[in-house]
Amino acid sequence: MKKVMVIVPFPMGGEDLARRQAQLQAVDLGPGIAFHYRPVRVGPKNYSSQHDMALADFSILDAGLDAEKEGFDAICIDTMSDSGMAMLRSVLIIPVIAPGRHSILLAQMLGEKFSILMMWDRWKMLYTKTLGELGMEHKCASMRSIGIMPDNKSLLSGKEDEVFPLLLDAAKKCIEQDGAQVLILGSTTMHEAHSWLRERLGVPVINPGPLTYKLASIALDLNLTHSKRAWPAPLAPKHDMIRAIGAAGAAFLEAQQ
Amino acid sequence: MTRILIIVPFALDEDGIKNREAQSRYVPLPEGWQLTYRPVTCGPTSFMSPHDWGLMDMAIFEAGCRAEAEGFDAVCIDTMSDSGMVMLRSVLSIPVIGAGKASMLYALTLGSKFSVLAQWEPALPRYRKAIREYGFDRQCASVRSFDQPPDFSNLLEGKEDKVFPRMRDVAMRCIEEDGADVICLGSTTMHQAGEYLAQHLPVPVVNPGPLTYKLVETFLALGLSHGRDVYPGPVEPRLDMLQAMMKAGAQAEKAAKS
Repeated sequence: MKKVMVIVPFPMGGEDLARRQAQLQAVDLGPGIAFHYRPVRVGPKNYSSQHDMALADFSILDAGLDAEKEGFDAICIDTMSDSGMAMLRSVLIIPVIAPGRHSILLAQMLGEKFSILMMWDRWKMLYTKTLGELGMEHKCASMRSIGIMPDNKSLLSGKEDEVFPLLLDAAKKCIEQDGAQVLILGSTTMHEAHSWLRERLGVPVINPGPLTYKLASIALDLNLTHSKRAWPAPLAPKHDMIRAIGAAGAAFLEAQQ
Repeated sequence: MTRILIIVPFALDEDGIKNREAQSRYVPLPEGWQLTYRPVTCGPTSFMSPHDWGLMDMAIFEAGCRAEAEGFDAVCIDTMSDSGMVMLRSVLSIPVIGAGKASMLYALTLGSKFSVLAQWEPALPRYRKAIREYGFDRQCASVRSFDQPPDFSNLLEGKEDKVFPRMRDVAMRCIEEDGADVICLGSTTMHQAGEYLAQHLPVPVVNPGPLTYKLVETFLALGLSHGRDVYPGPVEPRLDMLQAMMKAGAQAEKAAKS
């Protein structure tokens, strides 16, 4: 049985975690592969600023640092910011799949131009970073937001009536006004809106979380992982220091509660 | 049962098709999958000139244009040229995956720059054209050839000792001189070298044919297919005409040979 770790980018308990795990229902993964969700133990409150992104990178590195030793065969990162992906790829040999980079690349297998649908404008920096790294700014037709602060724990539940029509409206503008041929949901936390939107739009809609699960599965079947030339290993790995920093952050958050 | 149509871009005989079928051994496929390898009815014999490219588009288009009605769930095109892909997408709703664009995009999930390993010099213009049209100039480190005339039926069989090390040496130049951190095999006909190169190169090697099978699996598992906006259906389909044309082409080929 292959084991995949899904790193959830905020500390959270069972009920909130279940809403993340629900993403598994959107994809046929076949037998022989199991997904284990692990929330980080430290991190920012949300992803709203560069301040948060530095903490996010670290917290995801900390969560996945020992994945190989723990017997995992691959890692998926449950955030479109791809936080921690580069750091983890530099210290691990197993595939590390993050939804931002992979959605942008897979969207281009289905059409030429894509738009990214987001909850609020503060997420724009996440995609801008990845598009810049890939050198594919010209492939992105637009990024549109509905101007609602996301809740990374309860996600969209209880807000369907308010949020879904706004997303549909923004998605239509991406297609009709901006020329998008494929839509990407701007966050794995928007997965609850995926099937509803897809039924109402005439273009492919990428649900980024489930996409990463399937891509982890095929990377293992293809025996392919990231290039160490692109993500070189450190000369002096700081494993214990990273662990100490993570533990101190977790203790700080616990003391606050 | 999931049925996948794999269109082989040359009008090959049974042995030639078997060499293509061997690609399915490199990857585990889901239970209940049936792969059907279908050669085109007629088409070009070489693949190095716009004459060949245009005929190849039509040949692949014709071979797959009824795939959905025939009960297939997806189509893979067994050539890095993506010939016929956009035409098939315009008449089919099921996923249609060509090996070219898809393997370059997949390479970028594994690294930041890829090189394409081409069979011989005459193949280079076609790759450069495709890379420019897809807008991947910035992500492509280089296209280099290992200077071996292609054999579309026997592939690399019998030439392993001579050709594989040369492929490795050219790939190393892509890595060290051009900055590639992923190597894309430039043709599905190079599949026999995939494992050797993966073992002898310090970067990931994308074997495009088997990759397309796994990408089809991905799209089917997620319920994704190409958008109709990008590939609109024709106002007046003329698939019957297309099929009559290619049938006549095959007869002309047969007559020329006898």
